[in-house]
Amino acid sequence: MLKDKYGKEIEEILSRYPVKRSALIPLLYVAQRDQGYVTESAMHEIAHLLKLTPPQVYETITFYTMFNLKPMGKFHIQVCKSLMCALVGSDTVIEWIKAKLRIAPGESTADGLFSLSVVECLAACGTAPMMQINDDYYEQLTENKLDRILADLRSIGTSPLKSGPFMWPEPLNVER
Amino acid sequence: MPQHELILLKNMMQPGYTGSLADYEKTGGYQALRNTLGKIAPPDVTAMVRKSGLRGRGGAGFPTGVKWGFLPKDYQGPRYLCCNADESEPGTFKDRQLMERDPHQVLEGIVLACYAIGAETAYIYIRGEMVLGSKILEQAIGEARVAGYIGKNILGTGINADVWVHRGAGAYICGEETALLESLEGKRGLPRVKPPFPATHGLYNKPTVVNNVETLANLPHIINRGPEWFAAIGSPPKSTGTRVFCVSGHVKRPGNYEIPMGMTVRELVYEHAGGMRSDKPMKAFIPGGASAPFLTPAHLDVKLDFEHVAAAGSMLGSGGVTVMEEGTSIVWAALRLMEFFYHESCGKCSPCREGSSWLVQTLRRILARRGRMEDLETLSDLCKNIAGRTVCAFGDAAVAPIQSTLKHWRQEYVDLINEAEVANLIRLEPAGRH
Amino acid sequence: MPETTPQMVRITIDGMTVNVPKGTLVIEAARRVGVMIPHFCYHPKLKPDANCRMCLVEIEKMPKLQTACSTPVDEGMNVRTATTVVDDAHKSVLEFILANHPLDCPVCDQGGKCDLQDFSHQYTAASRFVETKRIFQKEYFSPLIETQMNRCVQCLRCVRYCDEVMDVKALAPVGRGTMTEIKYFGSHPLDCEFCGGCVQICPVGAITSRLSMYEYRPWMLKRAETICGYCGDGCQITVQTKGQELIEVNSAHGAGRNNGDLCARGFFGFHAATDPHRLTHPLIRRDGVLVQTTWEEALEYVAARVGEIKAAHGGQTFGGLISGRCTNEDLYLFQKFLRMAVGTNNIDSSARYGHVNGLHAMQLVQGTHRWTVTFDDILDADVLILVGTNITETNPITGLKVKEAVKKRRATLMTIESLEPVVDTMSNIANLSHHHFRIPTDDTHHAILGLVKAVVEQNLTQPDLAQRHPAYLNAVTSALQQTSWQDLQAATGIEPDSFMRAAKVAAGARRVVILAGQLLLRSEHGYNGCVTLLDLLLLTGKLDSPGCGFAPLAEENNDQGAVEMGTVTEFLPGVRPVAGGADRERIAKQWNGDLPTDRGASLIEMLDRAHTGSLKAMFIVGENPVGSLPATIHAERSLRNLDLLVCQELFLTETAALAHVVLPVASSMEKHGTFTNTEGHVQAVRPSIEPVGESRPDWEVFSALSILLDSPMEYAESKEILKEIRSLIPDYGSLGPTPLPAKVDRSAMDRYLTVGYQRDLTTRYQPKVRASRPDGTVRLELAQSLFHSGKLSTRSKGLLQVEGSGRLRINPLDAARFALSDGDRVRLSSTSGEMTTEVKIMERVPQGTAWFPYHFGQTAVRLFECAIDPITQVPSFRTATVSIMKVA
Ligand SMILES: Cc1cc2nc3c(=O)[nH]c(=O)nc-3n(C[C@H](O)[C@H](O)[C@H](O)COP(=O)(O)O)c2cc1C
Ligand code: SF4
Ligand code: FES
Repeated sequence: MLKDKYGKEIEEILSRYPVKRSALIPLLYVAQRDQGYVTESAMHEIAHLLKLTPPQVYETITFYTMFNLKPMGKFHIQVCKSLMCALVGSDTVIEWIKAKLRIAPGESTADGLFSLSVVECLAACGTAPMMQINDDYYEQLTENKLDRILADLRSIGTSPLKSGPFMWPEPLNVER
Repeated sequence: MPQHELILLKNMMQPGYTGSLADYEKTGGYQALRNTLGKIAPPDVTAMVRKSGLRGRGGAGFPTGVKWGFLPKDYQGPRYLCCNADESEPGTFKDRQLMERDPHQVLEGIVLACYAIGAETAYIYIRGEMVLGSKILEQAIGEARVAGYIGKNILGTGINADVWVHRGAGAYICGEETALLESLEGKRGLPRVKPPFPATHGLYNKPTVVNNVETLANLPHIINRGPEWFAAIGSPPKSTGTRVFCVSGHVKRPGNYEIPMGMTVRELVYEHAGGMRSDKPMKAFIPGGASAPFLTPAHLDVKLDFEHVAAAGSMLGSGGVTVMEEGTSIVWAALRLMEFFYHESCGKCSPCREGSSWLVQTLRRILARRGRMEDLETLSDLCKNIAGRTVCAFGDAAVAPIQSTLKHWRQEYVDLINEAEVANLIRLEPAGRH
Repeated sequence: MPETTPQMVRITIDGMTVNVPKGTLVIEAARRVGVMIPHFCYHPKLKPDANCRMCLVEIEKMPKLQTACSTPVDEGMNVRTATTVVDDAHKSVLEFILANHPLDCPVCDQGGKCDLQDFSHQYTAASRFVETKRIFQKEYFSPLIETQMNRCVQCLRCVRYCDEVMDVKALAPVGRGTMTEIKYFGSHPLDCEFCGGCVQICPVGAITSRLSMYEYRPWMLKRAETICGYCGDGCQITVQTKGQELIEVNSAHGAGRNNGDLCARGFFGFHAATDPHRLTHPLIRRDGVLVQTTWEEALEYVAARVGEIKAAHGGQTFGGLISGRCTNEDLYLFQKFLRMAVGTNNIDSSARYGHVNGLHAMQLVQGTHRWTVTFDDILDADVLILVGTNITETNPITGLKVKEAVKKRRATLMTIESLEPVVDTMSNIANLSHHHFRIPTDDTHHAILGLVKAVVEQNLTQPDLAQRHPAYLNAVTSALQQTSWQDLQAATGIEPDSFMRAAKVAAGARRVVILAGQLLLRSEHGYNGCVTLLDLLLLTGKLDSPGCGFAPLAEENNDQGAVEMGTVTEFLPGVRPVAGGADRERIAKQWNGDLPTDRGASLIEMLDRAHTGSLKAMFIVGENPVGSLPATIHAERSLRNLDLLVCQELFLTETAALAHVVLPVASSMEKHGTFTNTEGHVQAVRPSIEPVGESRPDWEVFSALSILLDSPMEYAESKEILKEIRSLIPDYGSLGPTPLPAKVDRSAMDRYLTVGYQRDLTTRYQPKVRASRPDGTVRLELAQSLFHSGKLSTRSKGLLQVEGSGRLRINPLDAARFALSDGDRVRLSSTSGEMTTEVKIMERVPQGTAWFPYHFGQTAVRLFECAIDPITQVPSFRTATVSIMKVA
């Protein structure tokens, strides 16, 4: 039960809103963090907590793209394919990852490490092409960088190439 | 390099500026709050904002002070401010920078707006993917709360304003203000039928103001330096202040550039963004995010302000300027955007829902050399039949790429279809001849 | 709330000028001048959603086309619906909607009644869509509801109905954009109320009923407008048939007291009449077994035996029992037959099981036997108090009125129920309640006392009551002083403060309606509870105020009619006392004979007399005392003792199996007549099919027997009986639109306030402390189920697919306590008997309690003791203490 594991956090979330249902998306994030996806029993529990029927939770969850209803790889790679990224090579990035990981968008690697998705604009068009892996953005991708990122993820579970607080172009007198 | 004074990006351009509370206070941060709360009457704050000529930076460009003025005057009970940080318009990435690099500037704007409209609660609806941004904001809120800028009894004035970060979960439409409210209420992000407007029936059916991040970030400056100062910047009287333009596509130095409104596209692209990335000339550009119609190099001298861009047949929108070089397939570009709109149509109303899928399929067919001449008429008919007949402005936005490319580059469509006809002829050749 | 007449505005539609209330939607205003604006997503029952965009119109001074379904009219508005621009818009929207719609009209069950099909013809729509249509995976939805999501036009009417009207929220629009489809949630079939609302409201063939798939086209069917035979709400239904086959039931928007809404029983329960086990021939007992015979032989035999027994022992050795499911005409003739042709007042009906408790209470306090309010008063109420009624299951349509009053009209709801307020995909009225007194059913009367005490102690009584009837007020006040808050709190588990707050709200409100249901009416305290509720209204000065009243809910469709027709021993037609007076004379005169003089016996007394041998013969019509009464009553032993038992039945029940003669009779699907619904509304019943087999309407049987017995009661058709009823009972003067509700009889009220109250005031106001239950036991209650009504519905194949057997409903905590999971078999034993059944875990069942649906209760009733109300003779057997044991 989420309530046993995250009781305090759940209470804190509920306290932010005068109307319970507003806590739905935040609670779904808690559930997704717990299992990597939102399970049927989590949806039932959340429905119960918010005094909603399970279909009300279900209709909301399926409207948004960020919730997974089935298990995903440990690293969920989401490459932006919208026009701005496409103009500067996102299709190549996708092909590159497909070749490296031997999976098509919508699939996961057999070892359960990677899942690949192709997504729409993630608000990083000035630093395109870009992708998001789990919570982190990776921008101005090159084939070289991609290789390093994948290697880093396999070895240390994260990569120093991820973006920090965003600023582009950076002030001229700051060395990059 | 910039000849003009920066407003919003000024702090973050300082070397070593981290966006912490200390850094922000050092540059005069939260002075506006100190000088306003309990010292200037809320209606006067609204009046100042109206006088400054500030218009919304979220896309529609509605005058901010006027919007605030729509809230019921004599209504007792809660009111809400929602900061629209859903930034999902393809080509736009300024709010992300404003929030991640100088969060307190946004927060100060939020508290000022709360004060002006009498809201005690504000939600920052940030797009779900911006995890870092939401963490930075949450941390900044924590700092500001400790320092007494946010929360109960701000700076001892007896004024309350709580600010919460609320993450979306992947839906462009939640940037539309009523869809945002629905989403914030834990529902599917479907736009509401208007009227009634959020000003009277907003979040939880209470009076609500929705403002964009950049809009709100301007407020401390307007207060500090006076509405007259602000109103003189840019292209008064209708387009005052600066805009952070997000330049993307085939330019040398893509990125965010803050310039006073009224500068030309040429200046922005060639002087600030370093010009085209290779020696190919520019073929097309979009001046205001994916929802804005495409323009041609003939429009390079159009001034980047609300009226001039509109007069040129497009819109300033969210300030996302995307540049395409010669050699880019226009039909392909239109399809890429159309695929975005198809993916993001919420599905509430039939013209947008069915039309977007129809348009995508037709464009794909044309690009796959299976188009027919009648498709052109169908395409423009469909666009006409969607525009103006939908629940929200998404429908109008979705048809912009096709309508404008059909207008300026019709020949490219015709060529693709001709290729298809040739392909058909070949296919139709009687079998058995060698 | 002052009554305000809505401000009228003047608008022009296509050149015609109309005056309509401000705020009317353009689409409705247009309808008034005969302009039909095409639409899909709009429905008058739902909040406008303006999603289909079909209803676009031009409105002067507005730059864009506007949706007529969401735009309210304003003074001077000029609307144009027939310009080329508008026509163009309609065509284009239709083209969009058709884009992904399959062209499968020939195999679609909606064909012939489809909005999309109609509009397509109207606009001769030709789609230019040449792309691939979206295709959804076929999903199994439920045994009763079929979905074809490829046909869905995403108007969300189903989802909105399920939420806004039913308050159930079982349907979810899933996904986004064109790929949005309507689903339910979970790895099991749809699990909901099955009200059929989604089927009825879908404008295309995306959601259809599985009971009538691919069998017919609408134009092949015959339609009959009639009244649902299940509960006392009295919903109007349209039964569609092909020959003798029942195909479909629906109810048009605006129709009947139900305004087109139905429940599962009404919508899916129509097959009971054509169940293959229907009796089709008369049966007669020969050498101990029932064998087929002819009507002539059967009737002559009965007449001969009646003659012999009457000659030997007299008319008062006969008794009669009839079901409240019969028509008024059947009921009326039954009692006239017994009183005049046979000569006995030993008459009873199923109203005895509880409905008479409410009626006796009303007679005593307000001098009427009918509601002084109507469904419309429920909608308009400021405060609604629901007592002992799981209303959304027993009387779902009255429940809808309550939901509407609370959700849309902001009534304050108080509930005295045992329901746990949990949200799931079945309505639970406690969820809407503002003051929920969650108490064990046995303690309902304690909660009522609490409310009255809170009224008196807070001086919320009507000021001039103290002047006009000080004795009454003092008596009530001092009786209540004897009752301590501690005792009440101990019994109900409710803090005094909650009573105080609720009492304040109720007393301060202008329009207060109290609805009392079966859990009160059929309980041991049914009568007392009702009188005390009437006290509550009296004390607060509301009993005779407009819009206020007490409304006991009838469980069987014609319980109210049964009492009004005089099929209870104590009343003649028109609810006139048998004992005497001018009414008795008048009726005797009209009937042209002498009325029997004995004080008749009610059901339990008749059975007792049969047992002791002083009752010799019985006519039992549509009732099954052997199957429905607890073992302690020994109904079977008593009936076996009779010299003559004649049963009129649809099916061979346990009781009919004991009869000497069984006569097959027509169900309400097969005859003309009238039913009186719970609010006293008399409505016409019409046949949809011919009587099954050789069955005949009940009244014809009584008429035929009366002729053979030489006191002929001859009628050519049921209408003639109705005419006779009308001459006796003015309330039956008209059928159809809302009757004026009955009025409180002030003189009766004054009589009650001066003497009437004295009879049992002290006992009523004395809390009876219940013996505590031993550990390891639960309180078993016979409960109503939404999917059934009486036993008749258990013959309906549709409803059996949703609930095919009785299962013991228990709370998850109790399940854990007894280590039970869903579907486990358990043995229940009480001091009176035992049974085995399956377990169904439901969170809404209160802890410590178990519910068993009484529709499947033949075996369960054995577990109950029976208490008889000394005043109303109501046998009550609703709760028992049982132990639970898991069995393999
Ligand atoms: C489809 C659609 C998407 C939108 N997305 C955004 C967005 O991501 N961020 C934003 O600030 N405004 C967005 N808007 C505009 C908002 O509806 C609204 O006008 C704005 O938040 C108001 O703030 P402003 O007055 O400060 O601009 C969008 C509008 C539409 C129709
Ligand atoms: S225009 Fe599109 S996005 Fe807007 S409400 Fe209609 S379907 Fe949804
Ligand atoms: S009926 Fe008006 S938009 Fe659907």
